[in-house]
Amino acid sequence: METTFDLPANIAFGVIAVAIIVAAIRVVTTRNIVHAALWLVVVLGGVGAIYILLQAEFVAVVQYLVYIGAIVVLFLFGIMLTRAPLGEMLDLTNRTMRVGAIITAVILVTIMVFSVVDSFRDEEVDFIAYSGDVAAAQTFADLSAEEQETVLDEVAAIGAEGTDLGPVGRTETVSDSIFRDYLIPFEVISALLLAALIGAIVIARRD
Amino acid sequence: MTPLVDPLLSGPIGLQEILVVVFKVVVAFAFLMVAVMFMVWFERKLIGDMQNRIGPNRAGPWGILQTLADGVKLFFKEDLLPDNADRFVFKLAPYLALIPAFLIFTVVPVGGNYSTGDGTVSLFGEETLLQVADPPVGVLFVLAMSSVAVYGVMLAGWSSGSKYPLLGSVRATAQMISYEAALSLSVLSVILLSGTLSTSGIVAEQSQWNWNLWLTGFIPFAIFLISGTAELNRPPFDLVEAEQELVGGFHTEYSAVRFALFFLAEFMNTVTMSAIIVTLFLGGPNGPMFGPEWLQSWVLPSLWFFLKLFVFLFVFVWFRATLPRFRYDQLMDMGWKLLIPAALGWFLILAGIQVASDNDDINLALVVIVGVAIFFAGMGLLMLAMRSSRRQRQLSGVTD
Amino acid sequence: MTVLSVLAQLSGPPFESLPIDWHALAPEVVLLSVAVLITLVDSIGLERARPLMPGLAGLGLLGALIPVITLAVEGSDRVLFGGAYVVDDLSLLLKAVFLLSGYVIVLLSTNYIAEGDYWEGEYYNLLLFSLLGMVVMASARDLITIFVALELLSIPAYMLAAWRKGDRRSNEAGMKYLLMGVFASAVMLYGMSLVYGVTGTTLLEPIGLIFAEVGTASVITLGVIFVIIGFSFKVSAVPFHTWAPDTYEGAPTPVAAFLAVASKIAGFVALISLIYFGFLGQSDLIEPLLFILATLSMFVGNLIALRQTNIIRMLAYSGVAQAGFMLAPFAVAASDPETSLKAVVTYLVIYAAMNLGAFAVVIALARKTRSGEISSFGGAFQYAPALTVAMSVFLFSLAGIPPLGGWFAKFSVFAAVVNAGTTAGYVMAVIVAVNSVIALYYYAQVAKTMWMDPVPDGDMTPVGVPPSLGWAIVLTAALTLLFGVLPGLLGDVTDSFDLGHLELLAFPG
Repeated sequence: METTFDLPANIAFGVIAVAIIVAAIRVVTTRNIVHAALWLVVVLGGVGAIYILLQAEFVAVVQYLVYIGAIVVLFLFGIMLTRAPLGEMLDLTNRTMRVGAIITAVILVTIMVFSVVDSFRDEEVDFIAYSGDVAAAQTFADLSAEEQETVLDEVAAIGAEGTDLGPVGRTETVSDSIFRDYLIPFEVISALLLAALIGAIVIARRD
Repeated sequence: MTPLVDPLLSGPIGLQEILVVVFKVVVAFAFLMVAVMFMVWFERKLIGDMQNRIGPNRAGPWGILQTLADGVKLFFKEDLLPDNADRFVFKLAPYLALIPAFLIFTVVPVGGNYSTGDGTVSLFGEETLLQVADPPVGVLFVLAMSSVAVYGVMLAGWSSGSKYPLLGSVRATAQMISYEAALSLSVLSVILLSGTLSTSGIVAEQSQWNWNLWLTGFIPFAIFLISGTAELNRPPFDLVEAEQELVGGFHTEYSAVRFALFFLAEFMNTVTMSAIIVTLFLGGPNGPMFGPEWLQSWVLPSLWFFLKLFVFLFVFVWFRATLPRFRYDQLMDMGWKLLIPAALGWFLILAGIQVASDNDDINLALVVIVGVAIFFAGMGLLMLAMRSSRRQRQLSGVTD
Repeated sequence: MTVLSVLAQLSGPPFESLPIDWHALAPEVVLLSVAVLITLVDSIGLERARPLMPGLAGLGLLGALIPVITLAVEGSDRVLFGGAYVVDDLSLLLKAVFLLSGYVIVLLSTNYIAEGDYWEGEYYNLLLFSLLGMVVMASARDLITIFVALELLSIPAYMLAAWRKGDRRSNEAGMKYLLMGVFASAVMLYGMSLVYGVTGTTLLEPIGLIFAEVGTASVITLGVIFVIIGFSFKVSAVPFHTWAPDTYEGAPTPVAAFLAVASKIAGFVALISLIYFGFLGQSDLIEPLLFILATLSMFVGNLIALRQTNIIRMLAYSGVAQAGFMLAPFAVAASDPETSLKAVVTYLVIYAAMNLGAFAVVIALARKTRSGEISSFGGAFQYAPALTVAMSVFLFSLAGIPPLGGWFAKFSVFAAVVNAGTTAGYVMAVIVAVNSVIALYYYAQVAKTMWMDPVPDGDMTPVGVPPSLGWAIVLTAALTLLFGVLPGLLGDVTDSFDLGHLELLAFPG
């Protein structure tokens, strides 16, 4: 299959990525705790935007619903209930730790970027194998190279016509795999949330 | 059967498609603005009537231009910025309140014949749905935006640097987070029955008279209406801006244009919440269809939609005029101890019925009986637990 | 035809729920039901229901053991959810270990929690939820299931560590544990995402096959290192052990026992699943990595334990060293997968019995001395001879003296590393031997204090040991002795493991 270079998508990705990085740096450098939470909203929103670029609309909307709409709101709520100072808090960042933080960050980023670039290089990722639909991926893997190309072309054509968004982020695929392949983790999470709720109440309440 | 995506966006996208989308955005925005103006006037006039007053009657016929006059006044007033305020956030907050209110409206189908057709209309030669956007996860989008709407209120209160707004916004946040849970759980019943997350899909499933209002058994509708009112911070849940206690709530320090934006957002939210209720429970543009083609595709569906919308706008004003404000603990009690358990229990029964009717070898009647029994047993246990903890509190001397 | 069939599948097959093997899931279902029942009874009965709680929790754990036994008797391996959840002899043995440790912890907690007037229903509820996470972990053969199980077992544990709310040290313990734990989770999750990114699957077995085939790649290396570091926090291996002593000391003592035994074993179970079912093909990476972790843990843990004056802190550092012993066979994981796996499992089972016993005696003695200082236990033989004898059994078992259980555990590890026949294996054998000698010194020191030293304040009133605590000590002591005297018992169980896949992962083609 030919490499398709989608210019608008790449430009959008670049803009979002820069916004995320700038906002992420501001989260840890700003001296106002509420501003830090708001920069975090920008980071999380940017991640959601990247999900949309990847056509994973369900994950994107859940990202907004859960992270921005619930978790950061609760952060802010906690800040306001305890103390909600306006302006800078000088004890929020420790200057002596700054050098260490920068060195750690640079080393980590170098290792990660190197390993990802080194391993993948120009490889094309065929998305049928990544669709989470195990049966389809297996059937796809069993095909010969030419047949695989035909299938990919067909899928691309369907995607272009817009009648089908492709299997990647489709909400049906997500829900099917949650309630079939990942049923145990799904149920375990419900127990986890109940336990966290009970424990949080005990820890928080006044005796 | 509606298509998976808006037919406008299938196939290659050229200038014409983009222009149609821009046109829809402009029309929707203009409509919302006019609707908000109307709503403000309608509310004041109607409350005036209900309280045996006259209400606005100076600007224009029946005072209908009163909102416009107020708007002009607010735009020309001096813009105050408190000394203690966090300047950037203070300026940002009104927009954060306004934008989600508009975005929610973009996924509401305001017309299109879903009863005898597939809901599409022809606009400048392009087949399209009568809504700005139709994401496959429309309902989740609505919930996401209504939870994002908390930011405006919360940050407005915090950034004012004054204690009454802060208290107001803490109250508002707690209230909105609490009732969002009940709101989402009642929407679950609708999603379960429709089998889709897309708003146009939900409307299509309710074609003719198959409205979710009765298919889901009224209870989710009642829960949605109550928690929707609370989510809007409207009376009887308007503790956020309880004048007697909090001066004016989160927007005490706001004036001029920025105050106007909050005001606008509040009424826009009322309009969009009514539209969402109509979409989810009352079949959106569905209704009796008759007459020639143009009547069926353009006029009647939108007419039914706006009629239903109007009913809910009336209901919200009616609430305000007749119901006394809740106390804060009563509000929280109702949200957490009544609405959320009831929504969950009802969802359980509906899910049982759904499985039983999909499966031939399961006895439907038995499932319903067992489901209802579990529902009441669960409610009973909850009541028992609440009663014993209340007794415990009284014993240890903590008063309610 | 094929092209069309793929397209048909892509356009979404109608959803069919998988058939669920309820017998295989029965232990988890029983645990979950009992945990929910406890919440329900507690929230309705309140004060009146408090005395019921420990009994309910203990019976629930024993009840969950019944399906484990029926599954073991039936003996067939059950594979659920396409290989994500496996119930075989290995996982059943580990489930039994978790459930029995949980039972002993409930016995240890019964009087401690009731007399301290801490939140009781919630305590047992969280304990059961945490054990549920461990029981799930024993069967998990899938990255997501492993991660979720890890969170379920950790999050209640964070809160249990802070259960003595009035005590600043307990709050500090919970906070430290939480911060380190979530940091480890984040690192591990990042590693898992890299592994998934390379292989495109979360199931361990396909991951193992792909890893065995592709050889080294820098993303794989990074992913595997991150995942193993994440679990190193959980098992408190050096250099990721710093939270352990402070957390054990501040947490309620039964919770410290829970963290030191059940939680640590759960970390090892995850490591076993990940390494023996997934990462075995990357032997050039995991063997040296785990060699370093094991060596550091043994030396640092033992050397710091030598200088401890507080019994709980000493047990914490000894736990770090014990983790090193358990990590030692991993250093030859790929050279001799079968023997090393059996050695780790053997060590885990015996470690559970003897370490729980040691904590049980500490709890019993602390009822009188009200202190965790080793010196305060001086002359315990004069007023509590039975407890002193029991403590000696556990301490010498931990040190690895025959004929106690710990001896067989150390022997298995030693045999496994020697058996591998690699240079690293021989070096590891020497390190294990040296550290066993160092460890003997501080274990014997405690025993000496209890037998020989004078009673510090001259108070000779006997220790009142409540029945549940006594029963816990008897149970653990019996098991410690049993495993030492009849090592074949455990050997028979480990021999029944079906480990055919190991050859495939370690030596592909």
